[in-house]
Amino acid sequence: MKLIEALEELRQELPLHSPGLGIDLACGITPLHFVTFLRAHLRKLFPGQEVLVRTGIYGDLAGNVERLGDERAATIVVILEWQDLDPRLGIRRLGGWRPSQLPDILQTVRLQTGRLADALDRIARENTVAVSLPTLPIPPAAFTPGWQASAFESGLREAVAALSARLAALTGVRTISSQRLERISPPGSRLDVKSELNTGFPYTLAHADALADLTARILKDPLPKKGLITDLDDTLWKGILGEVGIDGIAWDLDHHAQRHGLYQQLLASLAEAGTLVAIASKNDPALVEEAFERASLVLPRQRIFPAEVNWGPKSASVSRILKAWNVGADSVVFVDDSPLDLAEVKQAHPEIECRLFSRDDDQAAYRLLEELRDLFGKQLITADDDIRLSSLRAAYSAAEIKLSRGDSPEQFLQDAGGKLTVNFSRNPADPRALELINKTNQFNLNGKRHTEGSWKQYFSDPAAFLLLASYADKFGPLGKIAVMAGRKNGTTVSIDHWVMSCRAFSRRIEHGLLLHLFEKSGAREADFDFSVTPRNGPIRDFFAGLLEAVPAERFTISRRQFDGKRSTVYFEIQESANE
Amino acid sequence: MSDTRARLTKCFSSVFPGLSPGDVSSASVETVEVWDSVSTITLLTVIEEEFGIQFDMDALERLTSYNAIFEYLTQDASVSRGGSL
Repeated sequence: MKLIEALEELRQELPLHSPGLGIDLACGITPLHFVTFLRAHLRKLFPGQEVLVRTGIYGDLAGNVERLGDERAATIVVILEWQDLDPRLGIRRLGGWRPSQLPDILQTVRLQTGRLADALDRIARENTVAVSLPTLPIPPAAFTPGWQASAFESGLREAVAALSARLAALTGVRTISSQRLERISPPGSRLDVKSELNTGFPYTLAHADALADLTARILKDPLPKKGLITDLDDTLWKGILGEVGIDGIAWDLDHHAQRHGLYQQLLASLAEAGTLVAIASKNDPALVEEAFERASLVLPRQRIFPAEVNWGPKSASVSRILKAWNVGADSVVFVDDSPLDLAEVKQAHPEIECRLFSRDDDQAAYRLLEELRDLFGKQLITADDDIRLSSLRAAYSAAEIKLSRGDSPEQFLQDAGGKLTVNFSRNPADPRALELINKTNQFNLNGKRHTEGSWKQYFSDPAAFLLLASYADKFGPLGKIAVMAGRKNGTTVSIDHWVMSCRAFSRRIEHGLLLHLFEKSGAREADFDFSVTPRNGPIRDFFAGLLEAVPAERFTISRRQFDGKRSTVYFEIQESANE
Repeated sequence: MSDTRARLTKCFSSVFPGLSPGDVSSASVETVEVWDSVSTITLLTVIEEEFGIQFDMDALERLTSYNAIFEYLTQDASVSRGGSL
């Protein structure tokens, strides 16, 4: 983005009463055009939101960081450069680069990184903090020639690496990847000496743009895709199984097929982190099952569900997989080596992300691995990620049992032995609650999303509560599957957010949750901040059953009204202690 | 309107979105209330980026109006680049 384009972006008018996104920027440089680029990139990622950036005092990064976070939950950006760790590492001060001074510079840098780590440790408990570690070149202060890494330079980098490692352990801090930044902003083209000397803004425009771009992305933290559907022949392995046989397929260096092994390795990693992996392949099912018995496969068969192996169109296989997963096509990536199959799937499921697996270009295959990591990358792995696949398999076999026995829904639910565990708290620290709020579409009260900062801010209201529910039955645990957030005012409980994972449908959990909320709060009525979204049909249907009409907007339902219309729940409801 | 004038007008409009198109060509530090030191830096940087030039630091003091900058672009910068903008 050019600077003039960023300015044009900021000229776009916003609707009246647009929500604001407040950013506290802590840096020691004059932020000038970085602020313009950051606001422009954030405006693109958060459409319709006004972005307000507050800045601190020039030349006092550590002080600026220490002054942050005292007032309220906020979103914070920290831009660190070498001169913030010791002014002698900048070019606006003449403190000296004499060899005798280098140990003192190093000592100052170590002290400053420790001071910063302490300050960030404190503010990251209540705030979301994006951190950029030094991006500019170290000045020619060391006495060694520039092509040699000096002890001085190594010491500086060691101090920053220690800071980076400490920050990585803080859940509220996200550090910008220096490797990704190097790709889009070459280190040799970052420092603008003239600008730094004349205005205190040290970045070239291209570097300011690249850094702002990554900062905005790290703050946006896009939702990871939920599932990956892969082809087999010439994708998961090299070779056409039906032609070369089980021993003819390969995924190793010896057979010039390592890119397929790396692809399997990435899928195994994604699966272990909670991504759903399925197969859509035109193949002989028995032969495929036999192929998966080969011990050297990097992606184990048990990590794959379901496997749609048949001779029909891939789009039909994809439809069945989406149904088994109960997720929308927009949450899924489809990978195949055949452009024709990709086009056929894309035509039937326009929202799916389709990616070509290159049969003969190792570089392109590697780029795909990096792209998949971006699409599925997440902040942390939770216990729910581990049980997602097993609960889907359990739900699938439960449905098959129900179908085979011809049970009525009442009988089936009675026999399920369900247990709903609810946890009331005002502590939004469990990341699963925010994850559910931001990724659930179907059973979602109003589609409203939160950043980490705004989520924490929501709970600064003393009347606010959070309800997080888990469910398990004889078919296995579903994990944490529902979130309600609202406020209690007298005899009314106002619900601002209510989401439930699609894995938990058809168990009447929504009836149980509302019942428990009424009982626990003693409220006589519940007020729902409901609004129709393109995809929240399931919650609309639930409310229509209670109200005998589909609501169009915010509404209130009395306890008596609810009791008259709710369905019987057969599961046990219990409360868990605050975690 | 010449190409240089049109591009310069676009730069001014981006940095000073409150300026009406008719007022751009007469804009100066005296007539534009929000023209401060920060907007000077932003304006000159946008112009440098748009025209692919580097302003001579010694010339900055006189670049306080649309006309002065236009003159710089068409004379000084043009001469230093050995051609016309």
